Amino acid sequence: MERVLIVDDDVGLCELLAERLRADGFALEAVHDGNRGLERALSRDHALVVLDLMLPGLSGLDVLRSLRAQSQMPVLILTARGEDIDRILGLEIGADDYLPKPFNPRELIARIRAILRRTTRPEMPASPLIVGALRLDPALREAWLHQSRLDLTSVEFALLEAFLRNAGRIQSRDSLTETVLGRRAGPFDRAIDVHVSNLRKKLGAAQEGEWIKAVRGNGYLFAARSPDR
Amino acid sequence: MRVLARSLFLRIFIWFWMTVIVTGIALILAFLLQRGSIPSRWNGMLNDTARYSGTIAISEMDRGGVPAVSSYLEHLEWEGHLQACLFDSSGVALAGQHCAGFEEMAHHVMAARTPMLRMRFGILRAAMMLTGSDGQAYIFATELPAGPRTTFGANHFSFLTEWGVALLVSGCICYLLTRYLTAPILRLREASQQLAVGNLSSRAAPEMARRRDELGELIVDFNGMASRIEQLVIGQRQLIGDISHELRSPLARLNVALDLVREGRSSDLAVDHMEQDLECLDEMIGRLLTIARLDAPSAPIQFMAVNLGDMISQIVRDAEFESRKREIQISLSTGEEYWIEGNPELLHSAIENVIRNAIYYTHAGTSVEVRIESSGTPPGLLVQLVVRDHGPGIPEAELIHIFRPFYRATESRDRQSGGAGLGLAIAERIVRLHHGTIRATNAAPHGLEVEIALPLVHA
Repeated sequence: MERVLIVDDDVGLCELLAERLRADGFALEAVHDGNRGLERALSRDHALVVLDLMLPGLSGLDVLRSLRAQSQMPVLILTARGEDIDRILGLEIGADDYLPKPFNPRELIARIRAILRRTTRPEMPASPLIVGALRLDPALREAWLHQSRLDLTSVEFALLEAFLRNAGRIQSRDSLTETVLGRRAGPFDRAIDVHVSNLRKKLGAAQEGEWIKAVRGNGYLFAARSPDR
Repeated sequence: MRVLARSLFLRIFIWFWMTVIVTGIALILAFLLQRGSIPSRWNGMLNDTARYSGTIAISEMDRGGVPAVSSYLEHLEWEGHLQACLFDSSGVALAGQHCAGFEEMAHHVMAARTPMLRMRFGILRAAMMLTGSDGQAYIFATELPAGPRTTFGANHFSFLTEWGVALLVSGCICYLLTRYLTAPILRLREASQQLAVGNLSSRAAPEMARRRDELGELIVDFNGMASRIEQLVIGQRQLIGDISHELRSPLARLNVALDLVREGRSSDLAVDHMEQDLECLDEMIGRLLTIARLDAPSAPIQFMAVNLGDMISQIVRDAEFESRKREIQISLSTGEEYWIEGNPELLHSAIENVIRNAIYYTHAGTSVEVRIESSGTPPGLLVQLVVRDHGPGIPEAELIHIFRPFYRATESRDRQSGGAGLGLAIAERIVRLHHGTIRATNAAPHGLEVEIALPLVHA
């Protein structure tokens, strides 16, 4: 049984979800306010956190920010439809994926599975990938730029891996969404763009030129060599 | 663009100005065309002036005959821009170059035997009978000095200046007057355009509203209307936002419960939740419709005399059944009879909402106190209903929000509390509709006190 933490103030919803997720092999622990949610999320008892952004007390975004300062634990955020700003903000702060409320529980389970598959992939080939000054070790789940270790979330790690495996080739947004987020991209789904932009910032922090180029017609290209300064 | 956009301005301006100009021209024309328009006190003087020239002309005649007179008349015309003519007593011109113009006057003087003054085309002429030293009678006709000819004919430059100044001054006055009239209209137009684009906070310039005239009143009315619209739209927008947010929770639960049932793992839990959520949605929609109706009533609400004491006793009796289950006492204290003007159905629902809310939040085993008393200054102006519970109360900073739709105290946000969070919002709107006030305060040591004040009817 995978242990999943849900932070949502709707007690009824948590009860129902616990029952629904148990059927699919997840043990759901429910917490109804932000402070307690953060405390439980930092306990390392869970494989993943489902976080509602509308919380009494400490808001969902605050919980996520505090959590990311200490842990790279996968986070799926629940947002209201129409609150796009919150969704983008959540992804920028480092959420792995989002789901608008109300959602179909099967969709929730599929997203949880996709995230867990990515973070615990035992069959992964262990040989390190090297492009220019970048080195990524799938076995250790570590990435290095020159001699400094990059602090990446699991999505960003998966994204960088996808880029390195296909360095010098254009990858469409749709195929990136499928390989990295484990799902099909919805219409107006900008999740992958937010993750790319987060990754860009982390690579750019090492005073390099542009590693990732946006290609017209919905795609990204990863430089095959270290870009010029 | 600017000029075209201000076509009303142009039209009013042109009409005013044309009116001023036409009036001026009409006045001048009337002055020029009117016979005998020279004030009579001037007649003597004008006649003397004419007689002086005439006497000289006749003495010239006596001295040197027609050539002498002619040279004198030429001299007059040359020096003073005055045309003159000398006739004999039978009306035959003797000397002068422009006698044709004076012939008619000469005939008049012959017939009437009195001096004559005439104003024509702005030129003053005089004609009179004079007698020479030898007793010979002549008729002398002349234009008079300082007459309009000097102004009109001789000095084109000053003529233009005067007309220019007149046009400029009248134009300026008309411009200011027109601006005074049209500026508020333009401001109103700008404000209404802003309003139409969705800038609901725009108002017509408030300094315009200080004018005490009809346009000032129009601006005050317009701004009042804009405020009302802004208030309504903002309220509705807020409400719609809240509704969509509140609908999300029961829908999310229904979604999960439905999936549980569909997967064949149906349990009482799922079905119970579905039932609760459907009830919750039904209640929420019903109450939202009430709020919408109260915010913008489509038909006037019927008011009648209501005995408030009777109504509250009834509500308390109905509520007792429910409160007994949680061992809650409801105490009602009321004095005399209180009659108010209102809609019984709405008032009932407002007061019931407040009392049920108190029963809901008060701790089990405590009491809810309901008091009715007269208040206000002078005493007896208002009736005050106080409902006090012994529940947890509400954080002081949030007291002002509790009459907002969907407000719930933080602790009860778990939604196990039930209710849509609309009861107090409805009560507030109903009380406002009855020209009353409603407010909430925290009671010591704990608990919430809701006060409703309504105006009393005086028999």
